[in-house]
Amino acid sequence: MKVTRRKALILASAGAPALAQKPVSNPSGSPDEEVRRAREQVARAAEALEEYELPMSTEPAFVFKAT
Amino acid sequence: MANLPEEIFFSTISELNAKLRSREISCVELTRAFCDRFERLGPRYNAITLSLREAAIRQAKDVDWDLKHNRTRGPLQGIPFGVKDLLSVAGHPTTWGAKPYAGQVFPYNATVIEKLRKARAILIGKLSMVELAGGPYYRFASASLTGPGLNPWDRSRWSGGSSSGSGAAVAAGLVTFAIGSETSGSIITPSAYCGITGLRPTYGLVSRYGAMALSWTLDKLGPMCRSAEDCGLVLQAIAGSDVNDPSSAGKSFHYIPKFFRKLSDLRCAYAPVDFEEWTEPSAREAFRDALNILRDLGLRLHETSLPPLPYGLATSTIISAEAAAIFEPLIKSGKVNELADQKQIAGLKAALEIKAKDYLKAMRIRSQVQQAFRTLFMDVDVLIAPALPGPATKVTEPLDRRSTRPAPKARGLRELVPAGNLAGLPALSLPCGFAEGLPVALQLVARPFNESTLLAIGAEFQRRTDFHRRRPS
Repeated sequence: MKVTRRKALILASAGAPALAQKPVSNPSGSPDEEVRRAREQVARAAEALEEYELPMSTEPAFVFKAT
Repeated sequence: MANLPEEIFFSTISELNAKLRSREISCVELTRAFCDRFERLGPRYNAITLSLREAAIRQAKDVDWDLKHNRTRGPLQGIPFGVKDLLSVAGHPTTWGAKPYAGQVFPYNATVIEKLRKARAILIGKLSMVELAGGPYYRFASASLTGPGLNPWDRSRWSGGSSSGSGAAVAAGLVTFAIGSETSGSIITPSAYCGITGLRPTYGLVSRYGAMALSWTLDKLGPMCRSAEDCGLVLQAIAGSDVNDPSSAGKSFHYIPKFFRKLSDLRCAYAPVDFEEWTEPSAREAFRDALNILRDLGLRLHETSLPPLPYGLATSTIISAEAAAIFEPLIKSGKVNELADQKQIAGLKAALEIKAKDYLKAMRIRSQVQQAFRTLFMDVDVLIAPALPGPATKVTEPLDRRSTRPAPKARGLRELVPAGNLAGLPALSLPCGFAEGLPVALQLVARPFNESTLLAIGAEFQRRTDFHRRRPS
């Protein structure tokens, strides 16, 4: 693929303001801590799904094409 | 640099097409002017990833030749547009907004790009997005290869996600229209925050071939434009069956306003609690006024609410499980750690642990949601709710920050975004006023393949108001 100077300039300049505008400090801890929290969230979601009662006859949505 | 009046950049498709056909301006002149603006102002809003100037000008020359020989090719002929950088354009980078894919190049065009090329619209560049269209979730607006999407109305505010660049580029007059994508909220949110008109089509109406997949069963592509009419014209060009997309519904769409239903025949429903309690106090007057305008248009408004189903839980489980399956190679390779947002990295890793029974439970809930909407739409044609509770959030604000305001006791329609996406329903984000100097919007939702009904209301609302005509200074 040919990357012209113009393209390179656009790609480079597009990211520049991002460097100047940092978000407020990440409220989470380390990446490992973040993964631990995400796993807890998956577990909580699983519990919530388990608690939600459905009639046994309810099948999963197989048709995503709207009808 | 081509010197065209500022109004040109904020013209609608029909207005620009008329100028091209009358030869008031040439397509090359128009394209050069848009490319200049795109390259000059795009980085100001972190809105663009790639300029396609050379190819655009080549196409523009063809359009001028056609027009000179009276070969008209429809309303999009010669109109400059941009696409979210999750659509492949042959031979050019398609980054999916994410560092691990920064060098990715596909040898083919996405179907929507091909369709728009055939309509002789001019692709002038690619637009930034939240990395991997948001993945399971993300914490900061900065979750992108190009930095946070900055709102043209106020650069300290977010342009919304995940179609951040599409929203900002249309609002700032960098393109006349853009293509965005929505899994759950990614067209509606940036359209509302940027004060443009966005249409999320019915699932399966627009081919996704050549688009990044985040969730096979939820992803949709749609137009983000200046007006409801423009959305109709673009949808007409991009809708239709596609053998390359297994989700294709095999339906087309024709934008024919004279066949619109009379607004007074439509049964519409809303929930007062959404307007009076869920919305932010600063935005309530704008939403109330918008509701009154809809009444003045002759719409019959009834009260309703969504049945109590876990819409958010089902949606997040489905997106997380499907995204983890799609991006498993990225996660397993460790390259996932190159993403910008720690919460998204962690979310993708953890999503690999979602059990099949939980995914299927979410899909069973989805069946109930689909059934609930079938029942609701027996008595109602259109649901109306605020698209979001207020104007755009601050760029630096964590997106998972909990609201300090108590949640309304009544359910209302505030979960219409995840609910409507679970059921594959079309939705229109309609600019309806301002709060704190920033745009706010209504969302209208209809039965599957009833985009015309939404556009009829949108077009009539925009005949009576000028919110969609206002532009950032």
